[in-house]
Amino acid sequence: MLLLLALPLAVTFYLSVRSCALQMEVVTVTESSPFGTKEVVTQRAVMGPDGRALSVCRFVGLEYFRKVLGLDVGDGDQAGSAAPPDASGAGAAPAAASPQRATEFMGALRFTLLYTFATTPFVLLLGFALALGVNQVGQRWRPMYISASLLPFIITPVVGALAIKWLFRDNGLVPYFLSQFGISLFWMAQAWSARLLIILYGIWHVVPFAFIVFYAGLQSVPQDSLEAARIDGANAWQRLLYVTLPHLAPLFVFVTLIHLMDAYRVFEPVMVLTQGAFTTSVQYLTYYILLQENNPYKASAAAVLTTAGIAVLLIPLLMRTWKEQRRGG
Amino acid sequence: MKQPARVWSLLLHLALFAWLVIACLPIVWTAIISLRQYVDAFSVPVKWLAPVTFENYSRLWIDKAFYRNFLNTAIVTFGTVSVSLTVGCLAGYALSRYRGAVGFWLLITALVFRSLPHSTLLPSFYVMFDALGVRNEYFTLILVLVAINQPFTIWMLRSFFVNIPQELDEAALVDGCSRFQAFRRVIIPVMWPGVVTTGLFSFLLAYNDFLLSSSLVNAERMTMPAAIANAISADSEAFLMQGVAGAVSITIPLILLVLLFQRQIVAGLTQGAVKG
Repeated sequence: MLLLLALPLAVTFYLSVRSCALQMEVVTVTESSPFGTKEVVTQRAVMGPDGRALSVCRFVGLEYFRKVLGLDVGDGDQAGSAAPPDASGAGAAPAAASPQRATEFMGALRFTLLYTFATTPFVLLLGFALALGVNQVGQRWRPMYISASLLPFIITPVVGALAIKWLFRDNGLVPYFLSQFGISLFWMAQAWSARLLIILYGIWHVVPFAFIVFYAGLQSVPQDSLEAARIDGANAWQRLLYVTLPHLAPLFVFVTLIHLMDAYRVFEPVMVLTQGAFTTSVQYLTYYILLQENNPYKASAAAVLTTAGIAVLLIPLLMRTWKEQRRGG
Repeated sequence: MKQPARVWSLLLHLALFAWLVIACLPIVWTAIISLRQYVDAFSVPVKWLAPVTFENYSRLWIDKAFYRNFLNTAIVTFGTVSVSLTVGCLAGYALSRYRGAVGFWLLITALVFRSLPHSTLLPSFYVMFDALGVRNEYFTLILVLVAINQPFTIWMLRSFFVNIPQELDEAALVDGCSRFQAFRRVIIPVMWPGVVTTGLFSFLLAYNDFLLSSSLVNAERMTMPAAIANAISADSEAFLMQGVAGAVSITIPLILLVLLFQRQIVAGLTQGAVKG
């Protein structure tokens, strides 16, 4: 475990302050064609003695952090590989792209936090309401509700997000229903609706988990306390407020903790529902930089910032639980 | 007195039924449209009944060789579950019997790693495996999934082991078992439900993973969820419908799982929670 988790994490930290690029050399090639010969200045990778391209690695400090955070505007994207010496057009393109990209990480972090804090209350409330509801209905109905509720939770996230996407697609089922009421909306075409969709997906996906946990907790509420409360004249609302809820308080903490961890790494719905067009999450950012820009060093910088983010988010909560554990014995 | 109670109960059933519809609709609707042609699947107005066709499935499974992705998934999930259960059982058992500061800190470390987003490890996996030349291998993906899975597995198995009274292994030791024999002959048979539950969850993790499976292996070794990703941005109609069929194909084993193992899944979800 230490080898496969701690080591990669350390390597990520290490990579984030370095940069490698193929060592390039400028060569003059003579091109012969039926229309005469001309000399072309071009670049090629330097080959080592073993026939592989040599690459130069160097320490770049916080350069990539600045880039990911958008503090470093204007510099080209690839640090080591200089643009062709005489290409004036190439220099302009990254510069034009940078303002929009300037707040990459901050934008991703903002949406991730929005997602996290927007879904948490719904997950807790809906989950608890469902648990109470199912606890009220007859014994023979319960397995049906539990099985059906497990489905959104257990389904492959990519598939779940795709199912939602197809449901909300143009000509899909939901836009059709909304159009019956005179609302026509292209869900995937606007930033706010795409974000709303991701949040809706998150709620749909996690509520079952909260429901199952709370439902199991309700089974363990001591019946004699409830009965004592009833005899003392407490109505249903008071019993819920003063007997059931205090009993379930640790579960609320537990669900919140797990959900914070999971929400912070929201990835699949972002990828499926918007393809990063309107909104990104921090995990998506790393994935994108690594695979689309093919730059593990910049991706590492994003990854390190991600780690810092989750640490800031979770440390207060972990400290609290730890203290309570200690006090509890 | 009687009347409000009945109204209340009716409202309750309505609300729960509404949840049932919301929970199942996306999946059920996807299953329905997977049996249709594109024109019937996304039509205005919505068609409730349309000619049934299995064309999407046959295209996907036979022409696009989706069975290969299915085999990949089978290999990867089987490998992940067996390795992580073996390691998890040993580690969980040790941690449940060992009382000391190191054990406590190991558990805290496991919890911290559980909270880590997977993408933070991705760049270094990428670079390291490229350097070692083992990217795009089954065992690499299995190893990575096991590693990511392990903190969770250890926590869960430990909480099951803690419930087994220590007297049981002491009795076995007195009767002349070695430590390992006591573990294998006495503890594991008692632990069976816990092992099944944990196995289910590591199965789910390996089966559902997209991020790692799609970035660490190439097309011919991809698991089903990674392979279906092409459907995300599909513009062509036939391609989209194959994606729909693929989504349903991925979901069917999961539905079977829910029906067969509902009790274990519920037990697993609540294991960490109720025991505190």
